[in-house]
Amino acid sequence: MPQVADKIKDHARLFNEPEYQELFERKKAFECGASDEVVAKQSDYINSWEYREKNLARQALTVNPAKACQPLGAMFASVGFEKTLAFNHGSQGCTAYFRSHLARHFKEPCAAVSTSMTEDAAVFGGLNNLIDGLQNAYTVYKPKVIAVSTTCIAEVIGDDLTAFIQNARTKEAIPQDFPVVKANTPSFVGSHINGYDALIKGVFTCFWEGKERGEVTPRVNIIPGFDGYAVGNNRELKRIFAEFGIDAAIISDVSDQFDTPTDGKYRMFDGGTTYQQVEEAINASATISMQKYCTEKTLDFVKEKGQPVHAFHYPIGIKGTDDLLMTLSEITGKPIPESLEMERGRLVDAMADSSNWLHGKTYSIFGDPDFVYGMAQFIMELGGEPVHLLATNGGKEWEAEMKALLATSPYGAKGQVWPGKDLWAMRSLLATEPCDFLIGSSYGKYLEKDLGIPLIRLTFPIFDRHHHHRFPTWGYQGGLRVLVTILDKILDELDRETMKTGISFDLVR
Amino acid sequence: MLQHKHQDLFNEPACAKNQAKDEKTRKKGCGGKPLTPGNAAGGCAFDGAKIVLQPITDAAHLVHGPIACEGNSWDSRHALSSGPMLYRTGFTTDVGEMDVIYGGEKRLFKAIKEIIARYDPPAVFVYQTCVTAMIGDDIETVCKVAAERFGKPVIPVNAPGFVGKKNFGTKLAGEALLNHVIGTEEPEITTPADINLIGEYNVSGDLWMVTPLLKKLGIRLLTSITGDARYHDVTKAHRARVNMMVCSQALINVARKMEERWGIPYFEGSFYGVKDTSLSLRTIAKMLVERGAEPDLIARTEALIAEEEARVARELAPILPELKGKRVLLYTGGVKSWSMISALHYAGMVVIGSSTRKATKEDKARAAELMGEEGETMDNLPQRDMYRMLKNREADIMLSGGRTQFVALKAKTPWLDSNQERHNAYCGYDGTISLLKEIHKELTNPVFDLVRTPAPWEV
Ligand code: SF4
Ligand code: SF4
Repeated sequence: MPQVADKIKDHARLFNEPEYQELFERKKAFECGASDEVVAKQSDYINSWEYREKNLARQALTVNPAKACQPLGAMFASVGFEKTLAFNHGSQGCTAYFRSHLARHFKEPCAAVSTSMTEDAAVFGGLNNLIDGLQNAYTVYKPKVIAVSTTCIAEVIGDDLTAFIQNARTKEAIPQDFPVVKANTPSFVGSHINGYDALIKGVFTCFWEGKERGEVTPRVNIIPGFDGYAVGNNRELKRIFAEFGIDAAIISDVSDQFDTPTDGKYRMFDGGTTYQQVEEAINASATISMQKYCTEKTLDFVKEKGQPVHAFHYPIGIKGTDDLLMTLSEITGKPIPESLEMERGRLVDAMADSSNWLHGKTYSIFGDPDFVYGMAQFIMELGGEPVHLLATNGGKEWEAEMKALLATSPYGAKGQVWPGKDLWAMRSLLATEPCDFLIGSSYGKYLEKDLGIPLIRLTFPIFDRHHHHRFPTWGYQGGLRVLVTILDKILDELDRETMKTGISFDLVR
Repeated sequence: MLQHKHQDLFNEPACAKNQAKDEKTRKKGCGGKPLTPGNAAGGCAFDGAKIVLQPITDAAHLVHGPIACEGNSWDSRHALSSGPMLYRTGFTTDVGEMDVIYGGEKRLFKAIKEIIARYDPPAVFVYQTCVTAMIGDDIETVCKVAAERFGKPVIPVNAPGFVGKKNFGTKLAGEALLNHVIGTEEPEITTPADINLIGEYNVSGDLWMVTPLLKKLGIRLLTSITGDARYHDVTKAHRARVNMMVCSQALINVARKMEERWGIPYFEGSFYGVKDTSLSLRTIAKMLVERGAEPDLIARTEALIAEEEARVARELAPILPELKGKRVLLYTGGVKSWSMISALHYAGMVVIGSSTRKATKEDKARAAELMGEEGETMDNLPQRDMYRMLKNREADIMLSGGRTQFVALKAKTPWLDSNQERHNAYCGYDGTISLLKEIHKELTNPVFDLVRTPAPWEV
């Protein structure tokens, strides 16, 4: 009997018991499933080049896209601001999905409300839902700002947010001067990175309304972009600013929201960016985006106001961080602090210490466009060779930038760039042209299982491992963390391999 | 007591280093020089003994002493096994305070009993350590009683750390083999082409780079002492026709005494580098033929050498131009102080210096001769000087052990592990290919560009 009362086995092990194995066998016979040979033949086929061609030619169907939808990005961005309530105009299910998606990654509750549109609303428009929703949210949660973003359904029926919100004010659902940020985030175009962009732009639009740039203050605005390592990275940014002595404002700082301490207090919203900072941001010396593709519209808007802008691609590793620091130094006229120089030296030292393990390893990377870019750049610095670089939400421009990056190093020679492709395409790519390691999110674990290519989890979402987001991946310190994550995988794999024979299963590596 | 027993070893006639000393210092023995307190010390005699014997893979190796001794030498060397894994289990009596007061012999006896009951190994090696030697535990008697009681060989290895350095411990291990193991069983068959390798521990599979060559020539490796060895094979080693001594110093007593007792001639050779590998194969063939092997062995050996050398040249052709002229600082010791040089010369590399620690007078002479004008032999190179040399770019790469790795990297110089903690086999033809490929990989690693380019704000 596999299950006894005084020692209950959990499901992770239970089904390996002989009783269950037998049951599965019987079930197979009963269900008249295909024979093992047929199954084997089929799996050989889907690993073939022939299938790959068909798979890559696929146009209509998307299977396992490596992206989330727009309002999720908007919601993520909105909780980075002081006492701001994320408010989805649309059906309830979407909001529940965003909340659990973020909660599963950050292991933190995530507050957001929805206008809970129903069938009626879908037919007659969501005006009443929005008015009621705003009124309830305002009275119940007492936020400072409500950030409205739309889900597909509201976009499809063409709800006019501007008019609806004005309506709500007139009806005194919310006070006349109560700030409501809005972002149109239709998910049938774009992905979470565009939703992020739309919301940040919405915040600027709302708070800079009617204002022009005045006297420039020596301050820098930093927009981190959608980032699964937000907690660690934002804090790391702040540390870097402190080392520099730079006055900087992080626009959407989610580091506290997604890392609330367990101290008996309930923090419904704990966004770190104040609206005073947002208002003052218009006069800053420059705005820096850490992820270009997350902030295209926002930066255009800022540029229109006459402010210089700079954009990076997820600064991981030496060059990524060098560029960021040099830019900060140029904008502020401050020299690179000695402490950061030391950190750089330490990262270089660590890379050199482990170089023989890293040299010549091949990697495929998937994730958001900026992440894939930054990661590939660091991999090449480590003497690794990127193979398949895939961003479901990457476009033509990204493809061109990636190719240019690969061309800068002999280690980029094997690199193939796959904009717009999904993880099922990645499966074919890896089956036909395998590599040593796969870098991406938890979703890569199915590829790992099918193809035996070990997965290194370094981007959102990471559901099946804990606390990664608490550590930085940016800056030299973050580079160290990324380096260790990769190395651990390489060495764990080596141990796993050598365990089989015991030969070369060594204590010292 | 122990000192007296060891006197004979201190007088090793075949040990050139020892013979070069005057009588007084010779009496102190090769391991007798006290270690300098406060200096970075190498391994102790126990460590040396364990290094030599542990590669007997199917035996149990039981350390009689406190837990730390075993920790010191357990598994940090990659002596590989093609089969049994028992040698990697860290057996220790882990003596505690009570044993120190009342003596640890009973505990030792019990430990032997438990090992035999649970693992049934062909033999148990028992290692003495400082603490148990100090309290007067008589491991020889315990082993003798245990061997009789359980009907299994139980071999005492009386080399507690304090009797000397690692090198001396290796000789004591050799004595243990001579007194308790070699010659205790007879092989079922012998052939006129049976040999032993002595002082080859199969670090990172070095031995396996050579065994296929021997096999092809129909030369039977009776046993390797002790790389990837099985206990019962070592017992029959005395029936070999020729011994090849791979490490010139560590087990010289074994080679010499086997010649004395069983008339087996030995020669000293190396499997590092193409030239030396070929030379060693030639010598084995020649000596075997002299002792009655089929004369065509010589011609077959020549044919194999020609074939293998051509293969190496072919495989390395793409990288040789990039290696040519590159300057190497070799910081190893013993035989490797010269045997590695020929492997590097093969690629046209320049060896600017070789450390000759733990090397014999002959080793030093050979190293000096091989390097000629371009390099110098040095005994100990202080890390400060090493750093300076590398910093000044006198060498393009350093080959050394893990301890000096970080000096090279701090000096922004590529580095390759050439000692026992490395992960690649560098012996024989295939080993040479892999050594040179690894060097090439290090020299071209992009991280060294990064290491050497200043940060953008420094330019
Ligand atoms: S894609 Fe549209 S409908 Fe689906 S969860 Fe996202 S917003 Fe909702
Ligand atoms: S010196 Fe003695 S106590 Fe120290 S490791 Fe060697 S045997 Fe053990």
